[in-house]
Amino acid sequence: MSGLSLCFIDWKLAGKELFRETAGRFLLFFVLGTLFVAMLLSGGVNRFLSEQWAVTAILQMSVPAEGGRGIAAKAAGLPGVRRAVYKDPEAAWKEFIAAYPGLESLRSAGGNPLPGYVEIRMRPGRLTEKDIKAVEAALRPLPQVDKLLSGGEALTRLLRVKDGINVGFRVLFGFLCVACFATLFLQEKARAASLAADFAFLGDRGTPRNRIAFSRALGAGLIGCLLALVSLGAAALALSSLVDRLPYLGGVIGPAEEVFAPGLLVPALLFLLSGTLLSAGASLMGWRAARPAGK
Amino acid sequence: MIEAFRVGAVCRNGTLWDGLDLAFGDGEAWAVTGPPGSGKTVLLRILRGEQRPDAGDVVVGGRSLFRGGPAANREFRASSAVVPESFPPGAGRTVDDLFRLAAAASFHIPASERKEREEELLALVGLPGAQRWDLSSLSISERARVSLAAELFRGPGYLFADMLLLNAGREWADMLRALFRALAREGKTIVLAERSIPEGWKGPEDGRGLARGPFLLYPVAGGGVGAR
Repeated sequence: MSGLSLCFIDWKLAGKELFRETAGRFLLFFVLGTLFVAMLLSGGVNRFLSEQWAVTAILQMSVPAEGGRGIAAKAAGLPGVRRAVYKDPEAAWKEFIAAYPGLESLRSAGGNPLPGYVEIRMRPGRLTEKDIKAVEAALRPLPQVDKLLSGGEALTRLLRVKDGINVGFRVLFGFLCVACFATLFLQEKARAASLAADFAFLGDRGTPRNRIAFSRALGAGLIGCLLALVSLGAAALALSSLVDRLPYLGGVIGPAEEVFAPGLLVPALLFLLSGTLLSAGASLMGWRAARPAGK
Repeated sequence: MIEAFRVGAVCRNGTLWDGLDLAFGDGEAWAVTGPPGSGKTVLLRILRGEQRPDAGDVVVGGRSLFRGGPAANREFRASSAVVPESFPPGAGRTVDDLFRLAAAASFHIPASERKEREEELLALVGLPGAQRWDLSSLSISERARVSLAAELFRGPGYLFADMLLLNAGREWADMLRALFRALAREGKTIVLAERSIPEGWKGPEDGRGLARGPFLLYPVAGGGVGAR
């Protein structure tokens, strides 16, 4: 019997059952793929926090708009910074009045009492104490900068909570991977047991049992790789569509175009490899159930 | 040619038989008969390389099935067919599924030919159009016939059948004899294990068969010159 034929022997002998199993596996891989892409793009709560939280560099009253823009450009060039925007005193006053209506009288004495400032937002993956300190160290010596507001002690606590939540997400994802593997293993075990008589039939007719086991594992790995590819693609499409429809989700996961960014190619390949190995490994482990009684 | 040299088998109650010398030549069909419990099934399993004898050896085409590497044994089993006394039909399995499995155990059958040969063989064993029948709904005789057809489907060089005639009616037994003769003419070796064989199979002479241990051997086709 040809090796290729043995790879898909289960499809020949139990096609309907395997089709149902494969549909279930697709859903499992889809859930895992969605979480995987979402976690890759969001970095857990990193992107959400990086949208909510900023380092603010309050400039001296005397700093002109050109100077403010220059400082913003310098800040934007720092490795951990995603975006740095200069807000002139007039924009600062409008934001202030929008936040605290009824205080227009403060300006009646003459002139705008507020200075301009630079709002600095960190990259989601660089929202760490070390990177924030690096930004502060770069801006503090500048004579145009009056004050740097970065949250002080609250920031340290916030970052600790963020790290904890991120670890929690990773543990949850790992748990789901283990649960997925357990499901695949149980499916393989049940199928191997139900087809044991058929494998014994093949063994009695000269097909080595090891060859059956490894060929089945190869077939399961190939199907697993294909399933991982299709489900990851479906997950990416679903996420991209969701982000388009629910803009606030973009603040948590990231913009839709990032879902298909080339930077995700290597993690996607890793996902395919994991799907292949999980499927092949479950098949090999489940094969033990096909062992003939007394052997 | 299948040759058994001084083979012996032991069971829980003692020695079944010992020092048995047998030879089944190419193009011969033999019926090995013996009373219940005499070890006919054990003998078939040993001759087929499925069970190591407690003494002696089996040689096929000059290669030992038990004393060399596993390759000779595997190759022989791949080129031989076995119709067991009973086989457990999987729930919901059809005759077609059995042929699919037989095709999976074979090297030489392209998928395109499978259906055609399946139809021919089922017609040959008197069950035309049985492809969709559920195996569990078949009678013992029908199961044996389907099993025989599925084994012939693989084009084996050797055929071992255990109690194939037990539940066969006269018509089916006559058909089987003709089939075995035709297979023997093609150079295949056939060994049947039966409690008894129909009177008409025993030959025109005294019809006593060759005594080997607890067994009586009857040539069914091919002249029977090879049995020692």
